[in-house]
Amino acid sequence: MANAPMKLLAEWSYEPSKIHRGYSRKTLYIGLGNKDGDYSFEQRPVSEDMIEKFTGGRGFGLKLLWDAVTEKTKWDDPENEIVIAGGPFCGITQYPGAGKCYSVFLSPATKQTYNSNAGGYFAPFLKFSGFDAMELQGKADRPVVIFIDGDSYKVSIFESTLEDINAYAVSEELHEYFAKDEADKRTISVISSGIGARTSYWAGMNFSFYDVRRKAVRLKQAGRGGGGTVLCDKNVVAMVVKRTHFTGLENDPADIGVIQRAGASLHKRIHDLDDRQCKMRSAGTAHLTEIMDDYSLLPVNNYKFGRHKDIDNISSESYIKLFTQGMADGCWYGCSLACAKAVDHFPLQSGPWKGKEVIVDGPEYETAAGLGSNLGIFDPLWTIEANFYADHYGLDTISLGTGMAFVCECFELGLINIENTHGLDLNFGNKRDIMELLHRIAHGADEFAIAVGKGIEVAREYFAEHYGADMETMKKIGMVCQGLEASEYRCQESIAQWGGYFLTLKGPQHDEAWLIFMDMVNKQLPTYEDKAEALFFFPNFRLWFSLQGLCKLPWNDIEPADNGVKYKGIEAARVPEHLQNYLDIFEAITGKHLSRDGMIEQSERVYNFERIFNLRMGKGTAKYHHAPDRGLGPVWEDEWNERPEYFDGKLREFGIETEGLSVREKIDLLQKRRREQWEMLKMAVYKRRGWNKNGIPTLATVRRLGIDYPEVVALLEKHLKPEDEFED
Amino acid sequence: MITVNGELSPWREGLTVQQLLDEKNFTFKMLAVWIGDNVVDKSRYSEAIIPDGAEVQVIHNISGG
Amino acid sequence: MKIMQVNAEKCVQCGACMEACSKAYFKESSQELSRVRVANMTGFANINICSQCGACIGVCPTQALERDANGVVQLRRDRCTSCLMCVGFCPSASIFFAGAKQTEPFKCIACGICARKCPTGALELVVVPAKA
Repeated sequence: MANAPMKLLAEWSYEPSKIHRGYSRKTLYIGLGNKDGDYSFEQRPVSEDMIEKFTGGRGFGLKLLWDAVTEKTKWDDPENEIVIAGGPFCGITQYPGAGKCYSVFLSPATKQTYNSNAGGYFAPFLKFSGFDAMELQGKADRPVVIFIDGDSYKVSIFESTLEDINAYAVSEELHEYFAKDEADKRTISVISSGIGARTSYWAGMNFSFYDVRRKAVRLKQAGRGGGGTVLCDKNVVAMVVKRTHFTGLENDPADIGVIQRAGASLHKRIHDLDDRQCKMRSAGTAHLTEIMDDYSLLPVNNYKFGRHKDIDNISSESYIKLFTQGMADGCWYGCSLACAKAVDHFPLQSGPWKGKEVIVDGPEYETAAGLGSNLGIFDPLWTIEANFYADHYGLDTISLGTGMAFVCECFELGLINIENTHGLDLNFGNKRDIMELLHRIAHGADEFAIAVGKGIEVAREYFAEHYGADMETMKKIGMVCQGLEASEYRCQESIAQWGGYFLTLKGPQHDEAWLIFMDMVNKQLPTYEDKAEALFFFPNFRLWFSLQGLCKLPWNDIEPADNGVKYKGIEAARVPEHLQNYLDIFEAITGKHLSRDGMIEQSERVYNFERIFNLRMGKGTAKYHHAPDRGLGPVWEDEWNERPEYFDGKLREFGIETEGLSVREKIDLLQKRRREQWEMLKMAVYKRRGWNKNGIPTLATVRRLGIDYPEVVALLEKHLKPEDEFED
Repeated sequence: MITVNGELSPWREGLTVQQLLDEKNFTFKMLAVWIGDNVVDKSRYSEAIIPDGAEVQVIHNISGG
Repeated sequence: MKIMQVNAEKCVQCGACMEACSKAYFKESSQELSRVRVANMTGFANINICSQCGACIGVCPTQALERDANGVVQLRRDRCTSCLMCVGFCPSASIFFAGAKQTEPFKCIACGICARKCPTGALELVVVPAKA
């Protein structure tokens, strides 16, 4: 492109709304027309009811999307939107983790609503430009770049001249294009996807920020759910925001002193304790690999095994050596937890940029496991290369890892063969051919790669139809639910975490709850009621971050030194002092008091609204909460034989004598018993959440939460059946 | 015998907290160890002796990845 | 490089340094606005003032902290985003903030105003060999 001017297609100026107490009370609507060049722009008001009921961030996203679509809308219809929203905390510089936003859209992968969060500077800059949220609707008639100029209060749509649509190329070009000079590059943030978005449902969105020390563009991902695929379908190559001037008071908070004191004290705690706790500043989340291995939670070979002899190759020590140390690695100002690790000067060994030296962001734990152990690969350099290309192509590293792991097991089991794969030997651990598969998925190189890139649910239909692969087997081993591939923890041995994965709003990732230690190791959740309580509290507590523009990590990946001894039981897991910080800061920003109960209620409204939204899209009932066998226990003999005494013990807990039984028989018995436990858990959780036996929120629940809008009530009345009611 | 997180576990004379953690492979860093109602200071894991019959709790303080 | 040398044994805790500092930079007399802090620690004076060690420089996400020609660590307010990471990461807790006055933190820049007001020589402006 070399800075050749892009052709302006449409332009719109607006009168900026000043942020007061955390809200600008305006949203930005951008309409792309229906492939007819009919571009439109609007500044829309945010009502008091919207703030009261939906708070911000993901709540705003769901509310705006609800109003934009109907129950018939498909992900690739022009009515579908991408809504991006921060929240009242978003843009705070003084407290770690306040630069996040949520992207909300109808997902190609899950065929219902999805919301995915990312760091980077986009959301704060969008807010400082005067918008609590932005909606992108319609489809452009040609590839476009959208530019929100928060300095001169103008939104422009340009015809893209970018030849390479991959993320690093686009982001670097556009930082260059819209910045006055080198120093000005940090005033810009770019959202892009990559070439993977053309055919794959795994394409996410990359959010950039400029690293002043490295003098380079860094990327963070809203990776999951196919937001990049939607962006590409709308013919949008990139969205850019620019905002030069801002202060520590941009949110116009009610009491800056409270925020400053909470922030400075958390910075100090991180300085003093992070090295002894989670090593976020040196290793980032990759510190977890060896811990997960020690507790048999690391996914190895499509979650078959929980540990591996070569763990040392991918331990945090190995990654710490590869990560550049001593850099300020926060993805928004003020994040001293600084988990955004990077490998500098990494020479690529494959693909279109082979031979080039690049900066690779990460890997984070999920990527180290998903594009590593779960594929039977214990080579950090391979993982780093795969991480780079996944980001560059716009592919979600988690779905990519879990999806390719499923394909490897299909290959290992002989369900698919080397002819089907067009010459690729996809046995676990085959680094060369698995990397080649990654490149082929991104480029949609052949029908096999395209099917794989659409996710496990589509791929297994394709394998069954075209290669005669056995569907029942594939359903047992594919770690997918509601169209979304599972994230990278083995949940088999924690009943509560079955719920943390498979009784969720949007599919098996662990953003709602990670209860494995609490349940499996600490044994703090002995009954179904205890597990259901945890599966009520933690999903609602953790959802709260998504309403505010906050990252979850500074809540419990750093703790007061005495947290574990001062507070007993589950209370310690809530990290009460950090929880109190959030309540205090909420009040210091908005001027409105918030109690612990009030916090959960804010979340519960949005949690239930999202569930009802999915019901509206034809999902959101009990049958979509399905756990695959692999999620509940061993499927094949080799898995059982990794820990035979342990599993025998588990059968004995059910009163089953294991003498004389074959391993196959034992597996079937354990699966049968666990399937019964799963059903018990499901009912206990639905009841606690105020839903009926079919997983639908009851009228009493929506009335209690004040989300009993006429449309909501009409929808529920259509679906709530007397026979599904819980007794009492 | 002692109990560790509610499950029976073998005991021997002189068993320290650190030995117990090693045997259970509890390598996670954010732990709180309780013997009955008393919390054991992190710096004393190697010398703190667990008495026979003790109810030991080793709480892993994480609730989210 | 210039630093403020602390001779705590000479300190009589009169507070003149803090008054001089806050008046010089904030035009009002307030311990909360001083870049040097004197506290009574069980009868002894504890003087907290930046040693110009530079640990904060690497922590700042916008490179707003830098060493000037005299070796003094300066905060460039035009680049500062008021994140206060330097405050939390200062090994001696010698960077301060007072949101009501200004959002950016503040620290000693070895100007010597406090030393000139000190009646006992507890604070002294000295030149020491530069840090690498």
